[in-house]
Amino acid sequence: MRLLLVEDELEIQSFVKQSLTDAGYEVHTAEDGKTAAILAAKNVYQGMIIDLGLPDQDGIDLILQLKKSGMMSPVLILSARRSVDDRVKGLELGGDDYLTKPFAIAELLARMRNLLRRNSPPTEDATRLRIHDLDLDMIKRRATRGDQVLNLSPQEFVLLEYLCRHAGRVVTRSMLLTEVWGMRIQPDTNVVDVHIYRLRGKIDTEGREPLIKTLRGIGYVLKGS
Amino acid sequence: MSSKAANPILRSAAWRISLWASLAFAIGTMLVFGMLHRFVASDIQRRSDAWLSGEVGVLSDVATRTPKDRLYRRVVGEVAELASREVPNHQQSSSNENDAVFFLQAGDNGPAKLWVGAGDGASNLAAIRSTRMAPDVPFDLRVKGFRIPFRVAAVRIDDGSSIYLGLSERDEIHVLKNLRVRFFTLWVAMVLLGFAIVFYATRKMLGRVSEITEAASRIGQSDLSSRVPDTKGDDEIGHLARTLNHMLDRIENTVHQLHTITDSLAHDLRSPLTAIRGKLETTLATDLRPDHTEAIVTSIDELDRLTEFLNTSLDVAEAKADALRLNRTEVDLDELVRSMSDLYEPSMSDRELQLEVHSEGPVRVLADAALLHRVIANLLDNELKHLPASCLICISLRSDEHMATLIVEDNGPGFDAEVGHHLFEQRVKGRASRGHGLGLAFVEAVVRVHGGQVAATNRNEGGARITAKLPLCRIQEREQPEALALVST
Repeated sequence: MRLLLVEDELEIQSFVKQSLTDAGYEVHTAEDGKTAAILAAKNVYQGMIIDLGLPDQDGIDLILQLKKSGMMSPVLILSARRSVDDRVKGLELGGDDYLTKPFAIAELLARMRNLLRRNSPPTEDATRLRIHDLDLDMIKRRATRGDQVLNLSPQEFVLLEYLCRHAGRVVTRSMLLTEVWGMRIQPDTNVVDVHIYRLRGKIDTEGREPLIKTLRGIGYVLKGS
Repeated sequence: MSSKAANPILRSAAWRISLWASLAFAIGTMLVFGMLHRFVASDIQRRSDAWLSGEVGVLSDVATRTPKDRLYRRVVGEVAELASREVPNHQQSSSNENDAVFFLQAGDNGPAKLWVGAGDGASNLAAIRSTRMAPDVPFDLRVKGFRIPFRVAAVRIDDGSSIYLGLSERDEIHVLKNLRVRFFTLWVAMVLLGFAIVFYATRKMLGRVSEITEAASRIGQSDLSSRVPDTKGDDEIGHLARTLNHMLDRIENTVHQLHTITDSLAHDLRSPLTAIRGKLETTLATDLRPDHTEAIVTSIDELDRLTEFLNTSLDVAEAKADALRLNRTEVDLDELVRSMSDLYEPSMSDRELQLEVHSEGPVRVLADAALLHRVIANLLDNELKHLPASCLICISLRSDEHMATLIVEDNGPGFDAEVGHHLFEQRVKGRASRGHGLGLAFVEAVVRVHGGQVAATNRNEGGARITAKLPLCRIQEREQPEALALVST
C-alpha cells in the first residue's frame, strides 16, 4: 500500500517514514503543501498522514483542497496544537483521524491501519473471534481458552476483544483508554496496566503459553496466530 | 414574545415609564383645561351681564316714560317680550315658549306690579325679596321650582318700585357642560394614544437594550467571537452597543494573543519531544541489552510525564485567564463517574483501597467531556497516590435545582496542614507527593471555567473531601450550540 507523509520536521519525518516502511507500506514524503499537492495529483495513495503546521499552508486547507479535487483516501492528521480545531473535528466526523504530538509510533501505526481497514469491506467474522486457542463468542459475550471457559467481567471481555482484534500488533495505553474506555486521558498512575495484569492472570494461567506480552515503554501485544 | 405571560410586560421598565409619562401628560392637560374652562365661564357671564344691564336700563327707561294708564302694562309687557327674544347664546328650550327670561316690576312690598315670563312670578318675587342684593350689579338668584339659577339685574325707578330682568343660566351651563364632555372624550383618547405611543417607543428602545444584554451574556458564557447587535442609531443605546463591542474586540484580542503564545510554546516544545520520543521508540524496537532497554523505557516515561505537565500547565494558565477553549457537549456525570470507577477500581483494590460510587441516576451538565475526564482522573490519581492501604474512597453525585455536586472523599489522613489554603495553587504539593503539583490547580481551573466551584476540606471524622459544583444542563442551554453555529456561519 502506498502512503503519503506530509511533515516539515525532517527528524520526525524520517522516523515516521522508517516505521511505516518497516510495517510494510510504501511511503512518499513531502515537506510542504505544494509538493504534497503535486504528488497527490500524480500518484494514487491509499492513505495520507498530514501535519497541520506546514510552512506554506495550513494542513487543514491542504486536506480540504485535496478532498475537493476528488481524493477519497483517509487522512491521519498530526497536530502539535493544543486544542483540537473544530475543523479537525469535522474531518474526524468525516472518517479521518487525528493524533497529537508527541505520539507513540505504535499508536500511529494502529490508527493508520484502522483508517485503511475502514475503507475496505470488513473481512472478520462478526460473531466469532479465534486467536490461537482463544475463542471469543461475540454474541454470548463468552470467552474460552482451549476447553476452559474464562470467567471475565464485561469490561475485561471488551479489553480482550480489542487485543484480539489487534492481535500481533502493538496497542498503547492511550489507545486502550480511547477505544475501550472512551477517554482521551493520560493518567498519572498505572490504571491500565492493572487491568492488563488482571486479564493476563485469567488468560495466561500456569502451564499455558503466555499470550499477552508487555512491551515496556510502548504498550502491549497479543500474540498473533 | 407573545408566548410569554402578561406579567413580564407589567414588570418591564417600558410599562412603568409609559405609565408615569401618561400620568404627567394627563395632569398637565387637565390643568390647562381647568384654566380654559374658568376663562370661558367668566366670559360668558360677562356677556350676559352686559346684556342684562343694557336691557334692564332700556326697560326702566320705558317704564318711567310710559304713562301709568291702562296701556302701561301692555306697552311695557310688549317691550319686555321683545327684549327677551334677543337673549344671547339662546338655545331653543324644550318646554314653553320662553322660560329663560323673566321681567318683573314690583315695589318693596305687595304683589308684583307687572310680570312677564313663565308662570305667575310669585316664587321669583319671593326669591328676590329674600335675597340681599348689591345695587346695579347682576346677581345669581335661585328660584323655587327651577333647577337652574337665574342671573338677575335690577334697577329702581322713580315711582319707588324696582324692575328686575332675569336670565336663566341654563344656556351658559349647557355650553360649559358641552365643552367639558367634549374635552373629556378627547382627553381620554389623547391620554390612551399618548400611553400607547410612549409604550411602543420605550419598548422598542429597551428591546434593543435587552437584545444587547442577551448577546452580552451569551458572549460571557461561551462565544467570545460574537458581538452585540450594532444599531445604526447615534443615540445612547447605539453608543452602548459600540462601546461593548470595542471592549469585546480588546478582550478577544488579548485572549487571542494568549492563545498564540501558548500555542506556539506548545508547538515549539512538542516537535522536539515528538522527535526524541520517536527516536527512543525506534531504538527500543531493535534488539538491545536489557540495561539499555530499561534506560530508554524510563526516558519515554519521563518524556510522557513532561508532555502531560506541559499540557496541563498551559491549560491551567489559559483557564486562569478565562481563555480555555471549551468544546461543550451534554455530559452525563453519572455515566462518566461510573466508567471512571470501572477504570480505577482494579488499581484501587490492588492497593487495598475500596472505591464506592453513590449516585441516583443521570446528572447532565454542559461541559467539555475530555476536560471532565481529566478532572476526575486527576482526583482519583490523587487518591491512589496519597492514600495509605485499607482506606475507603467515596464518590457521590447529587444535584439540586441548578447545580450538580460531585464529592470525592476518603477516610485517610486528610490534607497536610502546611498545604492548607494553597491547595488549588499551581505547584503546591505535600512533602510526600510525587506529582508535579498541578493536579488540583487543574481541577479548580477547569471547574471554574465551566461556571462551577471547587472546595477542599478535611472531614471532621478524618480524611479529605473535595467538592466540585457544576451548573446543570438546562434545556435552553442545550439548544444554544446550534444557535451559535447559526450565528457564526
